Amino acid sequence: MTVAAFSPEWAQAFKEEINKSPVYQQAAKGWKWTVGLVVEAEPDRKFPEARGVVMDLFEGQARDIRVGSAADAQACDFVISGPYSRWKQVALKELDATRGMLQGKLKLKGDLPTVVRYTKASQELTECTTRVPVTWPDEA
Amino acid sequence: MTNPVDYADGDDASAFARMLGGLIEANVVARPEKLTDFHNLKARVGIFVTDIDEAVTLEFQGGHLLVRNGLQEGRDVTIRADADTVMQLSNVKIGFAGMPNYLDSTGREVAGKMLSGRLRIEGLLGNLTTLNRVTRLFSVAT
Repeated sequence: MTVAAFSPEWAQAFKEEINKSPVYQQAAKGWKWTVGLVVEAEPDRKFPEARGVVMDLFEGQARDIRVGSAADAQACDFVISGPYSRWKQVALKELDATRGMLQGKLKLKGDLPTVVRYTKASQELTECTTRVPVTWPDEA
Repeated sequence: MTNPVDYADGDDASAFARMLGGLIEANVVARPEKLTDFHNLKARVGIFVTDIDEAVTLEFQGGHLLVRNGLQEGRDVTIRADADTVMQLSNVKIGFAGMPNYLDSTGREVAGKMLSGRLRIEGLLGNLTTLNRVTRLFSVAT
């Protein structure tokens, strides 16, 4: 069953994918910070208002993932921001999140050494998003 | 301490330049054991990320780092690798006598990429000490 991108149902499915991933559980041992994803508005792509995804990740588990405002996401320990179309590219495996950050297509706020230490975990999080079947507002 | 890292291109510094500069700055500020290397290192190190066509030159000036966009002239060492490998280099653990550990799983993967040509280091001969210092400054492994 597909879910609408960046909806509460999507957040729940994303959480389930993370908690099913032994790769993530292994790679994220020791991770104990919140991560916020800011999905910036792109009205011309039928994504008129920014949204925030707040991820409570702890020791290889997703304790909670919820969709809120951009401000909610910006309050997290680590924040990754980008326009809707970039996040869509990430979810469709057209853009690797790490490469996106190195190229400035996605912007990262937070302690860099910690992020680099958990590169494998962040790559697996991206993999988990790609496993959630999604309907995109600009394709509906 | 004055700002340990500056960007030659100012507001036009690339995201990659800011990421590498930020990584080294955070390491130097948070981990005093890295200060000796930072103060003793005088070298120009280029890093070229092959799969995204991004490059920087790190000009270590003995206690100060100037980060420049692109590969500049006069480099002592140039590292060419894909983005994953560059990130992996930062995860190489530092082992006995401050030497990078190429025996654990991350170290073996990095060594394997060197042997297969996915990681190329130009100027290695004669600059091994420089490379080891840079690796220690980059390393985020605990």
